[in-house]
Amino acid sequence: MTFAASMLAHSLTLAPGGGGDAAHASLADAPIVAATADPSLAWMGWVLALPAISAVLCALCAAFRVKNKLPAICTVLALGSAFALVLKLYLARGPGAAPVTVHLWDWMNFGWGGGPWKSFQADVSLYIDSLTLLWMLFVTGLGTLIALYASEYMEAERGPGYARFFFGVSVFLLAMSALVMADNLVLLYFGWEGVGLASYLLIGFYYRKPSAVAAAKKAFIMNRVGDLGLAVGIWLIWVNYGTVEFGALFQAFDDAARGVGGWDRSLIPFCLMLGAFGKSAQLPLFTWLPDAMEGPTPVSALIHAATMVTAGVYLIARMQPLFSLHPDAMATVGWIGALTALLAATIGMAQYDIKRVFAYSTISQLGYMFMGLGVGTAFGAAYHVFTHAFFKALLFLTAGAVMHGFAGQLDLRHLSGLRRVPGFRIVSWTMLIGCLWLSAFPYSAGFFSKDLILVQAMSSPRFQMLGWIGLGTAALTAYYTFRVWFRVCAGPVAYAPGDEDHGHDDPAHDAHGHAAHGDDAHGHDDHGGAFHPHAPRLAINSVLLLICAGAILAGVPGIQALRGEQNWVQEMVSNSSAVRAAGVDHVTEPVAFGMDPHKLVTVFGTGACLGGIAIALWIHLLDRRMADRLRTALLSNGLTRWLPTSMENKWYVDELYHALFRLPAWVTSHLLHFFDRHFIDGLLVNGLGRVPVAMGRLFQPLYNGALQGYAGTMAGGLVLVLAWVAWKWLGATGGAA
Amino acid sequence: MSAAVTVAERIGSLVPEMIVFGGSVVVSVTGLSPKRSVRAATPFLSVLTLIAALVALTKGWGGSTTAGLLLPGVGPFARGLILLMGVGGAALAAGLVDRRYEEAVARGVAPFDPIRVVRGEFFAFMLLSICGALLIPGSPDLIWLFLALELTSLPTYIMVAMSRGTRRAQEAAVKYFFLGALSTAILVYGFALIYGSTGSLQLTEIRAALAQQSAMGGIDAVGTIGLLLVAIALCFKLAAAPMHFYAPDVYEGAAAPVTGFLSFLPKMAGFSALLLVVDAAGWGGMSNAGNGLPPALQATLWMVTVLTMTLGNVGALLQRSAKRMLAYSSIAHSGYMLMAIVAGPELGLPALLLYLLAYGVNNNAIFGALSGIERNGQEVEKVEDLAGLARRHPGAATWLAVGSASLMGMPPFLGFWAKLVLFIAVVKSGHTPLVVIAAVNSVVSVLYYLRLAGVPILAPSGAAAEGVVKTPSAGPRLAAVVFGVGVLVLPLFMNRLVSQIEKAAGVPQKMGAAAQPDALQAASR
Repeated sequence: MTFAASMLAHSLTLAPGGGGDAAHASLADAPIVAATADPSLAWMGWVLALPAISAVLCALCAAFRVKNKLPAICTVLALGSAFALVLKLYLARGPGAAPVTVHLWDWMNFGWGGGPWKSFQADVSLYIDSLTLLWMLFVTGLGTLIALYASEYMEAERGPGYARFFFGVSVFLLAMSALVMADNLVLLYFGWEGVGLASYLLIGFYYRKPSAVAAAKKAFIMNRVGDLGLAVGIWLIWVNYGTVEFGALFQAFDDAARGVGGWDRSLIPFCLMLGAFGKSAQLPLFTWLPDAMEGPTPVSALIHAATMVTAGVYLIARMQPLFSLHPDAMATVGWIGALTALLAATIGMAQYDIKRVFAYSTISQLGYMFMGLGVGTAFGAAYHVFTHAFFKALLFLTAGAVMHGFAGQLDLRHLSGLRRVPGFRIVSWTMLIGCLWLSAFPYSAGFFSKDLILVQAMSSPRFQMLGWIGLGTAALTAYYTFRVWFRVCAGPVAYAPGDEDHGHDDPAHDAHGHAAHGDDAHGHDDHGGAFHPHAPRLAINSVLLLICAGAILAGVPGIQALRGEQNWVQEMVSNSSAVRAAGVDHVTEPVAFGMDPHKLVTVFGTGACLGGIAIALWIHLLDRRMADRLRTALLSNGLTRWLPTSMENKWYVDELYHALFRLPAWVTSHLLHFFDRHFIDGLLVNGLGRVPVAMGRLFQPLYNGALQGYAGTMAGGLVLVLAWVAWKWLGATGGAA
Repeated sequence: MSAAVTVAERIGSLVPEMIVFGGSVVVSVTGLSPKRSVRAATPFLSVLTLIAALVALTKGWGGSTTAGLLLPGVGPFARGLILLMGVGGAALAAGLVDRRYEEAVARGVAPFDPIRVVRGEFFAFMLLSICGALLIPGSPDLIWLFLALELTSLPTYIMVAMSRGTRRAQEAAVKYFFLGALSTAILVYGFALIYGSTGSLQLTEIRAALAQQSAMGGIDAVGTIGLLLVAIALCFKLAAAPMHFYAPDVYEGAAAPVTGFLSFLPKMAGFSALLLVVDAAGWGGMSNAGNGLPPALQATLWMVTVLTMTLGNVGALLQRSAKRMLAYSSIAHSGYMLMAIVAGPELGLPALLLYLLAYGVNNNAIFGALSGIERNGQEVEKVEDLAGLARRHPGAATWLAVGSASLMGMPPFLGFWAKLVLFIAVVKSGHTPLVVIAAVNSVVSVLYYLRLAGVPILAPSGAAAEGVVKTPSAGPRLAAVVFGVGVLVLPLFMNRLVSQIEKAAGVPQKMGAAAQPDALQAASR
């Protein structure tokens, strides 16, 4: 193993770091190409319009109680067309075209005098550069595929629930596209809130389940904390730079680089960061994401793994010109990312619910992305976003297929040997690909993208510590990922169904369930008789294979980088506002153990991955009781008991928040309620409120309903006015006003 | 006299008015038809007439002549707005008049008797009133203006009486009529004094004469008093202090659709007329900058503004009847809009026109929601009776909430943007105290608007609220949906709207300036 790793390291170090070394020196002050207006691209407005139309159609389907798959068809067609449009634009422009803005229509445009800060403009217009396209390609592409998957997955809900689900998905795609394509921060904020809303609606999809409702509320409220940061950040940006449009803003940042900023200017990146941490589930706002798994699994795959949660990464990559002015802010992003990655990985090791393990792995991988942004490689971060979108969506979709097939069973202690269960072969093997990619197995896409981030961290003495944290986390990642696979897919066949009576009372569902099992006379009746898993059919399997192919192909840019060719993702990033962090430093001096960063990361990364997999293989496949013995041993020892306990209890972060925020908030709210009732309502409102009311009473006699009274009062008012005017103007000047 | 404009040209500019007039003749006939389906088609014919007039107006058949007119740019916008809101008004009133009798005829309980039906008359009067309002913005002289104002008002008195068969409606109509007559008397007296001071009835000549007088050291006492009388008489149409007393009684007495009609159309007519009068008094319209209003008129308007919004908002706090509350709210909004006159034409005119548009849309949405529900065949009067409406009629509750929130000025609804543009205009014209008073008033208004928005949604449904059902006619609900969606969607096109209005008003584009690259570049430095 060691030999193979060193060979691999050798081959990798021979490659010049993605052609980055020569480019990178000049990247530090590479100019951001100014965007030009291109009205001929107005058809890109359809990328926003199509999901909107589909949302309206789904709402109509719900209103007219459509019972067939029409909502799914509308959504898949609309999202597919949106993807086709994005692809068409990408093919027409290529990866290296200059940014353009497309003005769709005026929205807010206020001027109150000439000069700076005397106008506020935020239109519905698009800012399209390569970063936008990179995001849009996988957002719309995966959106289409996952909607297709959901058309089968959600069929037990057919009827209003089905339409509601696809309505949510369409709204999400609309908001996400607005977020990514916005040419100003106000429209971006609009999309930002929109994805939050869609996420809230979809997490709470099973609104009869209290835990789903609680999870939806938790996600919504935690995101509000982050959004407050973003809102304040946008306000501060306008106050400091006088505009919210990206084009003018990047110019302003460049000019500001030469000037001195006040404290509020330094506060901006921290505010934006708070927003990004909220949306992307980073410390300290990460606890909503695992709970968000209460939503239907396609939602977890699309929103809470592949796309929405990367909005924070997008925001920081987009505002790279601002962040590069503030090294402290960058370091904060890096450290938060690394610590989140580590913390989430340790929690993920001790969870039993497959989706929760994947949720923590998402948080952990998002941590890597933020680490990449922080250490200065938006390229690595964006590449990791891209590869992660595929393999994590794949993992969630396979988990969904398992959940769908085993009546909601997701506990990895109750599932085993699925690769031998008929109909689950594709699921098992695509899950294996996902797991290998997640644990950064050599030559997988995840390996290349994680490599870039860690190399960049190792290259800078300031961030070397982050690199080591990342390497340690990589070992944990490989362990908990393969813990899932070895438990669920390998080993002897054994399973118990979940407690979800999913599809029981739905004749359509039963009908196809039977068809899938040939002559099976029963669906998945887990109460009487044997339980028969319900194997995924065409839509789910084909989507799994397509996304799996996407995950494999996502490694192509990494291989290109390895061979020293111009690579696609790097070209995309370096033609965007994130250009200054579009490379990876190529340090050839040894940084530790006599190895240069590249070799170091390759050797230790490969070692971490294989080591993690080996431990998982040993204690979760070859000798499964070993895991329990280990846990018991740790628990029985007073010195080590804290470790498994706190990992299983997610480091008590929820409890901490409860004590720190919810409890004081509860106490304060009750105190305030008391104060409100007896002081505000009692004294102020009913007191002050009485002033206008009393005034009203004062005039009430005038409105006595008598015609003569009204006429008299009107005439009296007129006489008073005339008398006043006569006394004030006409009398004083002897007749001329 | 205005030699430049021939009678033929003048008549040629009145195509929309003539369409509306023709429509009024047609509906007065169809309303009497022995066939029930034809009678039932009367509201649709009214709506179609108004839409046809609107189309004629957009086709440019509303005349392009500007000679001899004051503020010619306002004309097309104001007429379009009147027609658009008229469509809403007619839709609201569909199925209102003669409902009981028609039901009885349909059941065969009562024989059809043309003497007893008034639906045709009702819609004919509505169209005539709209026709009068359409004539106001293009008035070349005082006689025309007076006749147009009377044509607007007289049918509304009858509409109030016809709208419901109750004695309260008749009482309201009589009050409305007598007080209207009082205001008309004051108006005519004012016109006479203006004629006495300037020696002309032509508005352009009056403007020239008054400008000359003020250049010579001030408008004389006769002219000043004449202008004041006219302004105060027009306050009756606006429901502004000190002529607002009739509004609560009349609004409450009339049926909800008529109340909705009364709270927009006379206000629109009044503002159209007031704009002409203040422009003649030197407000400074489009082409030549005036010297500003004579100080006495300016001060009076300032006072009227403050009194109107304060009395309106304070009065609304005490009300338990939804319509009475909305009557006071209508008074208060007149007060806000009068601020635009005080602010001067360059900033005030577009703000006023936008506010009128926003108010009209809101008004139709909220009255559409109120007219679309009933209890025991009666209108839902008290706010408390709306409790729990959201559970049984979510649509009505939604549009009530949206309309109230917008009237309150809550972002992001239409009303907020109108208020924002208006307040900016007033601040920029240097009347900050006025805006402070208006802001305090807006806060007070939240108290009652929130009640109207919140009770249907939040309050537990009580015994009184049971049995609230939809009215048989879909017209009001349709109007509520169309105008309610307008409240939600128009803000998306705010910029385009404001710059269109600025263009219509012929003032330099300020608020909705197209991209200001120089300012942005300066800002980025």
